[in-house]
Amino acid sequence: MAEAEKPVEPGSAEDVLTKIQNKSGRIENLIKQFILVEALQTALEDSPPQDERCKFANWTVVHKALMTVKDVEGRLLSLDPKYYDILMKYIYRGLSTGGPATCDRCLKIHWKLTAKAGFGCILRSLADTVNTV
Amino acid sequence: MAAVAVHQFVQCITCHAWSPDQSMIAFCPNNNEVHIYKLLQDKWEKLHVLQKHDQLVSGIDWSGTSNRIVSVSHDRNSFVWNQEGPEWVPTLVILRLNRAALCVQWSPKGFAVCRWVSKVIRKKHNSSVTGVSWHPNNILLATTSTDGKCRVFSTFIKGVDTRESKTGSSSDPKFGEQILQLDLSSSWAFGVNWSPSGNTLAYVGHNSMIYFVDDVGPSPLAQNVAVRYLPLRDVLFVSEKMVIGVGFDCNPMVFAADKSGLWSFIRFLGERKESSSGPKSGSQISEAFGKLYGQSRQGLSNDTVEPSKIQGAAHDNCINCIELLKQKGPKTKRFSTSGMDGKVVIWDLDNQHDLREYL
Repeated sequence: MAEAEKPVEPGSAEDVLTKIQNKSGRIENLIKQFILVEALQTALEDSPPQDERCKFANWTVVHKALMTVKDVEGRLLSLDPKYYDILMKYIYRGLSTGGPATCDRCLKIHWKLTAKAGFGCILRSLADTVNTV
Repeated sequence: MAAVAVHQFVQCITCHAWSPDQSMIAFCPNNNEVHIYKLLQDKWEKLHVLQKHDQLVSGIDWSGTSNRIVSVSHDRNSFVWNQEGPEWVPTLVILRLNRAALCVQWSPKGFAVCRWVSKVIRKKHNSSVTGVSWHPNNILLATTSTDGKCRVFSTFIKGVDTRESKTGSSSDPKFGEQILQLDLSSSWAFGVNWSPSGNTLAYVGHNSMIYFVDDVGPSPLAQNVAVRYLPLRDVLFVSEKMVIGVGFDCNPMVFAADKSGLWSFIRFLGERKESSSGPKSGSQISEAFGKLYGQSRQGLSNDTVEPSKIQGAAHDNCINCIELLKQKGPKTKRFSTSGMDGKVVIWDLDNQHDLREYL
């Protein structure tokens, strides 16, 4: 699929895309086995990629994991706090899609995540213009 | 209660500074003037109004050694005020800035180095300097800027400054030489402060982070502490192991270092409002979040909602300035804060028993 040229070496972007694809496979397995917190953490691992295609690919993977979240509070309780900030960034990405199911889920997670992580978490996701998702 | 006195002066205060004997306070009431008040028989009386600036006065400092006041303003000027008899006489300091001046501080030895400071700042900074702090040795200067960086400069001048003790580098650095640049924050950086010994530096970022840096030199050790709450605007070391941060949460936050030197948030100092952001009461926030989550106010969890303000909160708007007060004993315990609510609050850590170990 032809996309806008980015100043990124083809090698590194492809490399990242492959890693994301592998990650996606692992997450599918985890979801099937109902190891859901692990699935979300795996999806959130590795700071957001720089390339736009990679960002989109990573978002797809994270989205898949997010949509499996039924017990929001329980899931957040077991999530490692180091993932809070990056999760908040993906929540905002989800909210920006406008899709009713995605937004509904993201809104619920946003509510619980803010209660858990505080306003500082929201601030950090907004203020970081370098590592966007 | 940690807040021992609350004084409502005006609607909004930009910055404040105390006279050397702490009997008088100078502040800017969010306009182009500097007001000086004196405490006479338990009442604050306005003694002087210093009018020379054309725009907002953004920084004031009152020298402890020479009783002079320095003020800087958005009009790119700085004045040093000398008290001659009953009047305060201004002397213009040529800063040669092409942007607004936002902060100023007298060096520990009381040198009038505003001008030199501005020369230094102009060279290396590409965007607004939001905070300035002198190292206790009177030579190093730390600045924070809206480009998110914290820089440390040497203001050592051969023949003028004397090296008192051993320092990091063996050769004397040139005046204006940048010793260190810290790029820890991706957003605006504010409020920088050195610890009493000068070993540690703390500054805050607008992304709700506070940064602690030890061993300021070629290989600094930085700690990034994520703040759970709204961003801070200013910081103050009350001891080697305790820092007070103030900002948009309207309530001073206590950070302390444990025995291994790891910094963390301990607690708020004042009475706590449950929903803690924005200028007015928490009810606006709870209503907004209520609409966002599509639920009634009653249905929301108590984590995010407290419809009415808890009585007793000292500040009800953003605190943007924190200053150390002279201590009666050897340990620092008192400081003052001023904010956009026009109040100046004096805080005393004496009754805070859980914080004693950090003082």
